[in-house]
Amino acid sequence: MTVEDTTREFNMDTTDCIAMKPEEVEKDGGEPAVAVRDLHKSFDGQRVLNGISMCVRRSQTVAVLGRSGTGKSVLLKLIIGLLQPDSGSIRIHGQDIAGLTLDRLGEIGKKIGFLFQQAALYDSLTVGQNVAFPLQHNKKQMSSSDQSDRVTELLAEVGMEGELAKMPSAISGGMQKRVGLARALALEPDILLLDEPTAGLDPISAGEIDDLILKLQQEHRMASVVVTHDLHSAKAIAGHLILLNEGNVVLEGTFEELQHSEDKFVQAFLRQSQEDTCRDRRD
Amino acid sequence: MKVSCDGHARAALEAYFNKFLVVSGRAGAGIGAELASMKVTEQIDAIEASAVNPYKLLAATRILACILMLPLLTLAADFCALATGWVSQTLVEPLSLRQFINSGFSGAEFSDLLPPTFKTAVFGLIIGLIACFQGMRTRGGAEGVGRAAMNSVVLSSLFVIVADVVLVKLIIICFP
Repeated sequence: MTVEDTTREFNMDTTDCIAMKPEEVEKDGGEPAVAVRDLHKSFDGQRVLNGISMCVRRSQTVAVLGRSGTGKSVLLKLIIGLLQPDSGSIRIHGQDIAGLTLDRLGEIGKKIGFLFQQAALYDSLTVGQNVAFPLQHNKKQMSSSDQSDRVTELLAEVGMEGELAKMPSAISGGMQKRVGLARALALEPDILLLDEPTAGLDPISAGEIDDLILKLQQEHRMASVVVTHDLHSAKAIAGHLILLNEGNVVLEGTFEELQHSEDKFVQAFLRQSQEDTCRDRRD
Repeated sequence: MKVSCDGHARAALEAYFNKFLVVSGRAGAGIGAELASMKVTEQIDAIEASAVNPYKLLAATRILACILMLPLLTLAADFCALATGWVSQTLVEPLSLRQFINSGFSGAEFSDLLPPTFKTAVFGLIIGLIACFQGMRTRGGAEGVGRAAMNSVVLSSLFVIVADVVLVKLIIICFP
């Protein structure tokens, strides 16, 4: 399968996903959770995304793979509205988010949980206060005792129930990611965006985070987009992969399709990923 | 006595300017550096991702605090200036507090107190706005945080002095 064939196939699939007929939408369980079409984004004249299209259905997990600096994190920030695209459309449950005000975007943001690459915990708040933050500002009708129960429940879900009073600086990188994940789940989102969930972690901690994400996906049945350059992690948590290179989709499909691709970039990416995995295991 | 009063007035004027430069330095740099640090560590993005407006939560509250606190700080500074003025006067030439206050307030009018005090709310607005703007648009790592803090201090000090010149002129026109 050549790159052109794959890209054409991908675009047809995405277009079908974006412009589904009413009966297809009904069959699929409603509008796709995330539908991105022909997305362009540049920074200071440097093109980062060059017409990306993708679609994530409800309860589906898609991994976005690619080398560093290829626009993976930018794609996630565009989906949640932290950045504005130069052109193209992003639809969340059928609603186009381009040009929405910050307050209106906030309403849509309640349906999306985001785990940042460095966890981005509020360093002046404790672990418990970090997880409680979205609840305090978005669920004001909730009593403080209900909120603290919910915080305990969320921290227990990620295996951090004993660390409620600790400051983020007093816990490890892996634990910070777990707390970040608990905070992302606080508002019971329909869509979960994970930016390099295993980056910077040792293989054991990375495996634990992968298991945790799988467990949460099975329990909450959310649509998830996982950005990673770790092929091993992507294979573990996502059924569907999208490979980016220089702002373009090079390949979209299952892990098996990726493995059997004859594209030179795909083969080089696979070879390098396997070498990295072997090196990690040796270390 | 006349010479002594002029000396006090000059000292009070210097203290007055120093106070705002200290506030723009301390509060401006503090706000600028804090928000810049939050920006580069993606904490502001995390607030936005939690469906909370970071401009309302972080910037509006700090600007409002600056607007409210500077007039109060001015009143506190005025009180300290009177108290230390009386102490220094008494050390040079003993004078009762009643006499000092009566003589100090003999020519004072309403326009001498309220407009200059409320004028400082504008300084608070300038310090808060510049520091929040510099902090929330920071780029880069530690270097960006340093630049945001420095720009907050330099720009807010400069704009406070310019605003003071304009506001003094306005007060003189409105309260001749």
